[in-house]
Amino acid sequence: MIPEAIKKHLSSRVSIAPLAVFRFLFGFIMLVSIIRFAANGWIYELYVKPDYFFTYYGFDWVTPLGETGMYLLFLVMGLAALSIMLGYFYRFGIVIFFLAFTYVELIDKTNYLNHYYFVSIVSFLLMFVPANRYFSLDVLRKPSLRREYVPAWTINIFKLQLGLVYFFAGVAKLNPDWLLNAMPLQIWLPANADLPLIGPLLEYTTTAYIFSWGGAFYDLTVTFFLLWKRTRILAYLAVIVFHMSTWFLFQIGMFPFIMILCTLIFFPADFHKKIIQIISGFTNYLPFSLPKPKPAKNKDFQLSRIGNSIIGGILILHFVLQLLLPLRFMLYPDNLFWTEQGFRFSWRVMLMEKAGHATFHMRNPETGNEWQVRNWDYLTPKQEKEMSTRPDMILQFAHHLEDEYQKNFSGDVEITVTSNVTLNGRRSQPMINPNVDLTEQERGFAHKEWILPFNEDQQNWFKNLQ
Amino acid sequence: MLQFNKLSVLLLLLIFVGACSSSTNSNDESSFDRAAMLENYGNNIIVPAFESLQISVDELQVAAQNFETERTPENLETLQETLKDARLAWQDVSPFQFGPSEDVLLRASLNTYPVDTEKVSDRVSSGEYSFGTINSRDASGLPALGYLLHGVGDTNEEIVSMYTTDADAENRMNYLLDNISFIKEQVDTATNEWQASGGDYIGMFLSEENAGTDVGSSLGMLINSYVKHYERFLRDGKIGIPAGVRSAGTPRPLAVEAYYGEYSVELASANLEQVEKIFTGGDNRGLDDNLEALGAGDLSAEIQTQIDEAQSALDGLSDPLSQQIEENNDPVLTTFEEMQHVVTILKADMTSILGITITYQDNDGD
Repeated sequence: MIPEAIKKHLSSRVSIAPLAVFRFLFGFIMLVSIIRFAANGWIYELYVKPDYFFTYYGFDWVTPLGETGMYLLFLVMGLAALSIMLGYFYRFGIVIFFLAFTYVELIDKTNYLNHYYFVSIVSFLLMFVPANRYFSLDVLRKPSLRREYVPAWTINIFKLQLGLVYFFAGVAKLNPDWLLNAMPLQIWLPANADLPLIGPLLEYTTTAYIFSWGGAFYDLTVTFFLLWKRTRILAYLAVIVFHMSTWFLFQIGMFPFIMILCTLIFFPADFHKKIIQIISGFTNYLPFSLPKPKPAKNKDFQLSRIGNSIIGGILILHFVLQLLLPLRFMLYPDNLFWTEQGFRFSWRVMLMEKAGHATFHMRNPETGNEWQVRNWDYLTPKQEKEMSTRPDMILQFAHHLEDEYQKNFSGDVEITVTSNVTLNGRRSQPMINPNVDLTEQERGFAHKEWILPFNEDQQNWFKNLQ
Repeated sequence: MLQFNKLSVLLLLLIFVGACSSSTNSNDESSFDRAAMLENYGNNIIVPAFESLQISVDELQVAAQNFETERTPENLETLQETLKDARLAWQDVSPFQFGPSEDVLLRASLNTYPVDTEKVSDRVSSGEYSFGTINSRDASGLPALGYLLHGVGDTNEEIVSMYTTDADAENRMNYLLDNISFIKEQVDTATNEWQASGGDYIGMFLSEENAGTDVGSSLGMLINSYVKHYERFLRDGKIGIPAGVRSAGTPRPLAVEAYYGEYSVELASANLEQVEKIFTGGDNRGLDDNLEALGAGDLSAEIQTQIDEAQSALDGLSDPLSQQIEENNDPVLTTFEEMQHVVTILKADMTSILGITITYQDNDGD
């Protein structure tokens, strides 16, 4: 039923080494990320300090666990990352990690980053593969677990996922702002003009165009070059150069390192065996000696038939969703960057320089009294910045203001918003219909009629783009 | 390898096309010197602002000591004038609440208003008080001086009597002097921290590693502090809150700055002038030149226009502002709206074009 060519990528017998290394490196970089996150004080800053959290629609039940709770949750997450890295009670560790990480990400959409979404997805996929059956403490603990070969799908799902990420990120760059205006790079690059050596180059508009076109080309093609043996090394060099330059130029955190490590999975098994040798070499420095793994009787990993069907079904569903989610924006009218309906969970990175200012007007319909809200009394600077350019968050905040009002006063209150937003260098323009009472509007996936249409002809502040 | 080479050629071609389409109209000749702009801000605007505030506060102290020795209406009047000078000098410092100012909580210590007059009276009559605590903020600093020098009597003769014949006269005088010492201490500390001869914050402000645009950079801190000041403390604090835009439409005339001194509009106007000066960099390189160099000269001109419009609306108001609010609040509300436009263009358009980051956290630019 399944064509041979596809079958080859699913069930052929391949070495487990790339999967084991992938698990190790992923656990490692997650551990580093969590330590960095905690050391920067962000657990407190993002999940304890704010009074209000912008939940995702349908996930309002996800709330922070209080100060102690959040620190504990991150501790558990860190231990789970360690368990993944070492392959120690891995099955348990990966499930805990996936749940804890995803829970934290769902608390507040202010903090949404595509790379967090990517981490959730990779840890989700890792729950279904036997990544701990080689080069792990589980194998030393229980030698019968050890396997040397796995069916190819256990590795190829990660290549497919990485490929989708890059490809959709590339497709998203095929828009007029990115290609014809070199936006937003034309804003972001000169901001780094103080850098030594390359700094002065970044001030040239030409540089922004080279980076824009080069970036789009890279995203669209790198997976193919990584898959093809003859170009793999060059492509991997490109991975390193590309991600390191983004790390150098933008405030992008751990993402470059995550991608640099994850894309190693495109290399063949021999390469990963060498990595294992090198890492195993370090165990000689341990104060105690680890026993040598005993070869297992059964070298091949095979799922039971029922396991095969269940996991197969889950993965097919997963990848169908992965294909559809980035395209869901087509169901909505108007400019995607403007309305952001269908923007998240679509690998749209570095596409917009958006800033705004939203003023919330409250009115008591009985007395006719009007007043304005001090956003900063309710929100952190980051929350206020993210909220003021995103219609869904503006609506949520309006509902929150209504709730707060009704805690203290009875009766109805009307809330309208005047909001100005600048997108990729354009003169700021009103985003929300100032006559619509947002307390009457429902949250949800339907098109938000109260978003004012984007004016395509809006003047751009940059002379060369007028 | 053949296919790869073809693609490399294609890539080069794409880059070439990109380069051509831009080189015709790019503004490549302008290499803006951000370091020179920061130097202008640091050396010609910020440090001098702190130094003149320091001088004003010194004069305030001298005038207060003279008033202590000779408690006459003439000396009171001199003291009132030096207070006004100090409050005007504060307007030039108030947009710079980062670094040393933040360390000593300069704004909260010096200019928390409205003053809690009952608290001041209690502290005066009990003689038990300390300065610099959270609880003492609305009973200390410049607004408390305003009350003590303008508000404890209807005429200057009556006020002088509060320092001569009143039962609490000595206590009140001590409170006045202690409050001034407290103000001086804060201002001296912050000024000294900025100066190259002192804490040399200016050295850090102008250093190469802080010349970027991220949130910890000098420009990042300056602009964040600047925009925040304008939005919350000028537009809101000086105009919006007294006009009632935050209090369910009920005006709060008592909440104006310098309620007892009755020169609120003058202070707001001086503050807005400083806001404009910070934007233009005075006679030197400023944010306006930075925007022009980036090819966004229209934005620079627009900001200038909007600030001017806000300034002329503000000039249309008259002191005492509290009276204006009670009698004819509409122009005050209009002024607030004019000032609002400036917030939008500074907070959205300007910071966006300059590529200024506002938080330390990671982002992926979306």
